[in-house]
Amino acid sequence: MASLRDRLFKVSPALGVLWICLSPASVFSQAPFFQGKTITVMQGRDPGGTGDLRARAVISFVQKYIPGNPTMINEYMPGGGGRKATNHIYRSVRPDGLTIGNMSSAMVSLALLGESGVQYDIDKFFYLGSPYSTYHAVFISRKEAGLSGIEKLRAASGIRIGAQSVGFSTYNEARLFAYLLGLKEPKFIPAYSGAELDPALMRGEIDARATGADTVEQRNREWLEKGLVDFHAIMEVPKGDKHQRLGHLPEIEGFARSDKERKVVALARAFRVAGTPFFLPPGTPKDRVRVLQEAFRKAYKDPEFYKEYKKLTGDAPTPLLPEDHEKAIREIPREPEVAELYKKLVGAGPLPPR
Amino acid sequence: MEVSLFHAALQGLLNIVQLKVFLAMLVGVSIGTFTAVAPQGLGMPLVYAILLPVVIKWEPLTGIALLIGASAVSAICAAYLPVLFGIPGGSGSQATVVDGYPMGKRGEARRALGASFMAGGMGCVIGTLTLLVALPAARPLIYLMGSPELFVVMLWGLSMVAVLAGRRPIKGLIATAFGLLLAMVGQQAQSGIMRFVFDQPYLLDGIAVSIIALALFGIPSALDLALTRLGVEQQPAPLRGSLIDGAKDTLREWWLVVRCSFVGVWVGIVPGLGSQVVDWLAYGHAAQSCKGAKESFGKGDVRGVIAPESANDAKDGGDLITTLLLGFPQGVVTALFIVALLAWGFVPGPEMVKKNADLIYSIIWIQGIAGIIGTLVGFVLAKELARLAGLRYSFMVPILFIFILLGAFSVNRDPVDLLVVVCFGILGYFMKRFGYPRPAMILGLVLGDLMEKYLYRSMASYGFSWLTRPGVILLLVVTVVSFVFTLRGRLVRKTEAGSLSGGAIARAEDDR
Repeated sequence: MASLRDRLFKVSPALGVLWICLSPASVFSQAPFFQGKTITVMQGRDPGGTGDLRARAVISFVQKYIPGNPTMINEYMPGGGGRKATNHIYRSVRPDGLTIGNMSSAMVSLALLGESGVQYDIDKFFYLGSPYSTYHAVFISRKEAGLSGIEKLRAASGIRIGAQSVGFSTYNEARLFAYLLGLKEPKFIPAYSGAELDPALMRGEIDARATGADTVEQRNREWLEKGLVDFHAIMEVPKGDKHQRLGHLPEIEGFARSDKERKVVALARAFRVAGTPFFLPPGTPKDRVRVLQEAFRKAYKDPEFYKEYKKLTGDAPTPLLPEDHEKAIREIPREPEVAELYKKLVGAGPLPPR
Repeated sequence: MEVSLFHAALQGLLNIVQLKVFLAMLVGVSIGTFTAVAPQGLGMPLVYAILLPVVIKWEPLTGIALLIGASAVSAICAAYLPVLFGIPGGSGSQATVVDGYPMGKRGEARRALGASFMAGGMGCVIGTLTLLVALPAARPLIYLMGSPELFVVMLWGLSMVAVLAGRRPIKGLIATAFGLLLAMVGQQAQSGIMRFVFDQPYLLDGIAVSIIALALFGIPSALDLALTRLGVEQQPAPLRGSLIDGAKDTLREWWLVVRCSFVGVWVGIVPGLGSQVVDWLAYGHAAQSCKGAKESFGKGDVRGVIAPESANDAKDGGDLITTLLLGFPQGVVTALFIVALLAWGFVPGPEMVKKNADLIYSIIWIQGIAGIIGTLVGFVLAKELARLAGLRYSFMVPILFIFILLGAFSVNRDPVDLLVVVCFGILGYFMKRFGYPRPAMILGLVLGDLMEKYLYRSMASYGFSWLTRPGVILLLVVTVVSFVFTLRGRLVRKTEAGSLSGGAIARAEDDR
């Protein structure tokens, strides 16, 4: 017995070393990696805007859920609708888990539509979710234009539809609405800034526009109360998510006439669902990806995060968890003919025939 | 409950008579002053983004006092860069360099700074008073100015430059045309077409005006010091002028201050115009309307400092009209201010005017009081800052280059910007050497994009019928009359003097 005990005693260090070599993760946890480190959140925008505030709201919660409580700082690299920063993260940043990207949803649409200047592959990033993924686009016209109802809308020719720049979400959605609602020779007038569109509508310089249902509720309550505009249709993102006040409006997919058109709507929804994605560059070690994904998951589920985000941005968060985010990206319709139709719809030329 | 606006204004004033509100305002003023005098890069948007998570936890009035205090003051104190170093300040303070820097070189930096702070303070107060009075009636004005009217205003702005180039009209037109061409670089908003991008991601959004302005004016100024081996203020002539002299100049030119302040308020009210045009429009108006401006502007005429500075600071009042009355942000700072208001439970727009009129007036009062405090702070700082103009070139030149490069890099945080600033700096040097007016190029760059946008929207919305709109006809008449009047004045002076009368900007370019 003594000799067995002695033998065990002699062998145990070797067994211990063997155990450590076979299962290093259980001994050398990744938690200490982030301890004392600084994580840079690279935003593809100028500082100070709503996107920046959203990111800051998330970061302040994520920080406490990353083991080791690393410092998190923001860096800004505006340009090209986020292309410059996304290209930089894809190609130049060291994939060690210490740089996280945060862009607008244009990052996804630019890549899938093959726009110039895109030097990244969206399928190769690791996604950490988004603080919001819900949106309700509505198509409205000013009351004085006399376009109450879909039939009058379709009967009128040359409706002037205002939007921001070509490629901007309000432009894309306006084109989609006009196409699916079957408007006759609509005239699109982009190149408005956000602040100019509503006065232009009220002034009569444009007849209609696409906008967010929440934006109308927040900024243009007078329109709702005094009936200054007519609401025609809504696009729910995600599908089936009814807006509290305007959920009664006909959903745009209901106007689609073919499966291809329904897929185009699904594509438009998918671009919006991406929200403002947080992501890691390709090649980031999987264990560090898991740690960060778990931290973001916990942050999004934190009840205090909900309160702080709403207070800071004015909107309620509708977070997309990391695994749902990756799923959403994977499931974006990729059929070439759908993308081709979508590109024509959101381009600058006339709407394609149906 | 709706109350009369007079009672709301009174209540609004009483509401801010609290120590913590006043202290918050002082802290905001300090932050705004620091932002103005720090090297470019720490702009108000970033300051607001950093402060917002903190102030939204405070009581609304205290938070508002801090935020408005900071933004009201940052423009007032931004004139020291153009006056002392010939480097354009932030948006809205670029035109100040045309006359401010020559004043500095002539030993009148203190006078120029005194005039700029006084003009800024008066502009802020006028902007606030306009806000106070116009709030109930501003909405029709906002809706009156459509794309056709704005196009004609831009045309008026552009015509000013062509005239102001005076002695070298052809060179002025060439410089303006080059500015217009540069404005085309990037993605065109109305078609999505990439113009002059050459597949370079850097050029997708065009080249930032602030970088070009910094390069065109800042590098030649720094080279000027290096080549002449003198400090800014080391002139054979003794130092003259004081801060008080500058303040007195501004008070004497009170009517100019009022006119230019209204230009600023109007630019602030109209969505989409932006702060980059306000100082040039005011400067151009002053050059056209002030007596003797044709001979003296560009050589260090204090009115050339008063005009842009008063407009730039009055603009904040106009911004607040649109922000509070309609809930439209005019820029990042006002957008963030709206976020703060929403966090406190207030919804900017007509609802807020009805239900929280006293809060709106509290904001207005804070804006005005912060402007006055900012002016006083400016005067206190100016005396010390003006000493910088007396430093030797060997010390100043490297600092200037650091400021310029830091400022350029801070815009997009892109190293390519440093190359761009060097290239345009060299261009600016040769433009100055061969008499091509640099402000003309800047104005072409700033107005070009706006003009194209407004013209496109006018044609798309109205066809050619926009030319028959009453506002357009009126503004076209004003533009043509002022153009003809100014040309006629030049011709008369040419006949009387027997030689070409120079224009303001051409004179500045002759100043070697």
